[in-house]
Amino acid sequence: MELTAEQRTIRDVVREFAVEELREGAQEADKTETFPEDLWDGLAELDLTGLTVPLEYGGYEADRVTYALVNEEVAYGQLAVATALSVHCLATSCLSEFGTDEQKEQWLPEMATGRPVGMFCLSEPEAGSNPAEMSTTAIREGDEYVLNGRKQWITNGQRGEVAIVFAKTDPEDDGSVTQFLVPKSTAGVEVGKKEEKLGLRASDTTQLTFDDVRIPAENRLTAEGRGLSAAFHILTGGRVGIAAQAVGVAQAAFDQARTYAHEREQFDAPISEIQTIRHKFAEMATQIEASRGLVHEAARQDDAGEDNRVTAAMAKYFASEAAVDVANEAVQIHGGYGYMSEFDVERFYRDAKITTIYEGTSEIQKEIIARGVLD
Amino acid sequence: MMKVLVTVKEVAEVEEDFVLDGTRIDDRFLEYDLNEWDDYAIETAVQLAEAGDDVEVVSATIGPERCEETIRMALAKGVDRGIRVWDDTLASVDLLDVNAKTEIFNAIIAEEEPDLILTGVQAHDDSFGATGVSVADAAGYEWAAVVNALDLDADAGVAHVRRELEGGVEELTDVELPAVLTIQTGINEPRYASLRGIRMAQRKEIAQQTLDDLGLDEGAVESQITLTDMYEPESESDVELFEGDADAAAASLASVLREKGVGAQ
Repeated sequence: MELTAEQRTIRDVVREFAVEELREGAQEADKTETFPEDLWDGLAELDLTGLTVPLEYGGYEADRVTYALVNEEVAYGQLAVATALSVHCLATSCLSEFGTDEQKEQWLPEMATGRPVGMFCLSEPEAGSNPAEMSTTAIREGDEYVLNGRKQWITNGQRGEVAIVFAKTDPEDDGSVTQFLVPKSTAGVEVGKKEEKLGLRASDTTQLTFDDVRIPAENRLTAEGRGLSAAFHILTGGRVGIAAQAVGVAQAAFDQARTYAHEREQFDAPISEIQTIRHKFAEMATQIEASRGLVHEAARQDDAGEDNRVTAAMAKYFASEAAVDVANEAVQIHGGYGYMSEFDVERFYRDAKITTIYEGTSEIQKEIIARGVLD
Repeated sequence: MMKVLVTVKEVAEVEEDFVLDGTRIDDRFLEYDLNEWDDYAIETAVQLAEAGDDVEVVSATIGPERCEETIRMALAKGVDRGIRVWDDTLASVDLLDVNAKTEIFNAIIAEEEPDLILTGVQAHDDSFGATGVSVADAAGYEWAAVVNALDLDADAGVAHVRRELEGGVEELTDVELPAVLTIQTGINEPRYASLRGIRMAQRKEIAQQTLDDLGLDEGAVESQITLTDMYEPESESDVELFEGDADAAAASLASVLREKGVGAQ
């Protein structure tokens, strides 16, 4: 796909930032399970935290192709940071699309500069792929809504300050899911325990509980019952970004494996000359190119105003599965060293897996694709 | 109003494995990027613009269309406008030497009349390391080379600079404006271009100029020097393993270092 000069430059600058800054601290952040706030400041200086904030509120208002390019490159550096960024972007997207002028004015200019950090609270312990089964409620009382419930796997849970929360206004009605804006400082919002994860360990993932949390009625971002379709709409946009992140992780694993295969000598020659290894690279490269192609096509469709739901799902499904495969082979190519945490591929292998799960599992993506091609 | 001119160069970086073809390295082994020293010069200029009330920063380069990306990056970091000099005559020149660059930049200086000119100490690829000072001489400007700290007093028309000398010695010098400063790496921390900067840069002007536009002819870029050969020097490596406990190993290492001239007393 032909990129504009502006898009090319952005890709190159973010790639440089990823290599010089994000990758540098990745191992330490993973090991200590600490989100690298200084790198977040760096993202903000590059205007990346305002990626999906409209121009009039001080953001960059990126087209979807640019959004995908940025996500790929940030993930190339450190997936945990890319995840935090894309969730922040989901939150600013919700505010941009559904907030009142007053709410946008209040939150977006600051969020564009990096803080407060946004959160997106949809999943619950008992409601993952089917969010309609959620049990969090928001009951109207006069000029307020009162929220009760528990949200799970909230990225930026500890560090975030602005939550987009989905809750039912009628506990008996699965069709009553509604979207709310909840500042974390509101009384009754509690941050739960930090989750221990296989990968993405630097990402700040917690539960968030709501115990009689009272918010003004104007913090309702969508009409009662319109929350889920809003969530799906925003997630479809974000999905291209997640797919792009998977491409970034795969490319990172590929590049490390390539360097290693050229340096590592066995049987008196670099292992990059051994056919079984060469064919691995052929497969990995093909998977990455195909993934990137799907991501760019899904982004292009979005920018052209076409319905990209099926392509976005294809991109997310294919790119995330490819990332797992490529990271797996990258470890294999490294042999025993690949199993050691001193080597980045070990982390890529653990990190890659989440991309097939979050923001719509591969199984859910296939459902969306099947619906698109069959029904 | 103060005007700062930053001369920049897109340099070729040679890949690890390459093949020499006479006195050339084929394009497929080269990658092009902004000269590292120039990045620091740009940052110096942009910081001056941010600190001052009315400072215009202009960047100039000599090079083909490909270089627009490099100069556009300078614009994205805060440079106001760019000048790129190129034409068929320049394209046909084998070796653009210091004299030629001096002629071209001197013509730009005559047009722009900058108060301060910043260049990198040297270019990463041809490493002449002379253009900045040569330009100062031709333009009749004061100059200071290898500057690693700058405190500009624009009102008094003086640049207080610190220069890095060999052997860990540094000196402080006052240079009267207009002046050329060749900027050393480490003087600052060059920023990354921001997304908004990149977007704005697409709309900033890069004026393309030919030798003719600058009032120069072919003679200006004829080189007095000829590149006669290019080769990869034989490299040797040697390993010496120190035996014994830490004290013994340290003593052996110290004597080797002394032999090699490190830490001379």
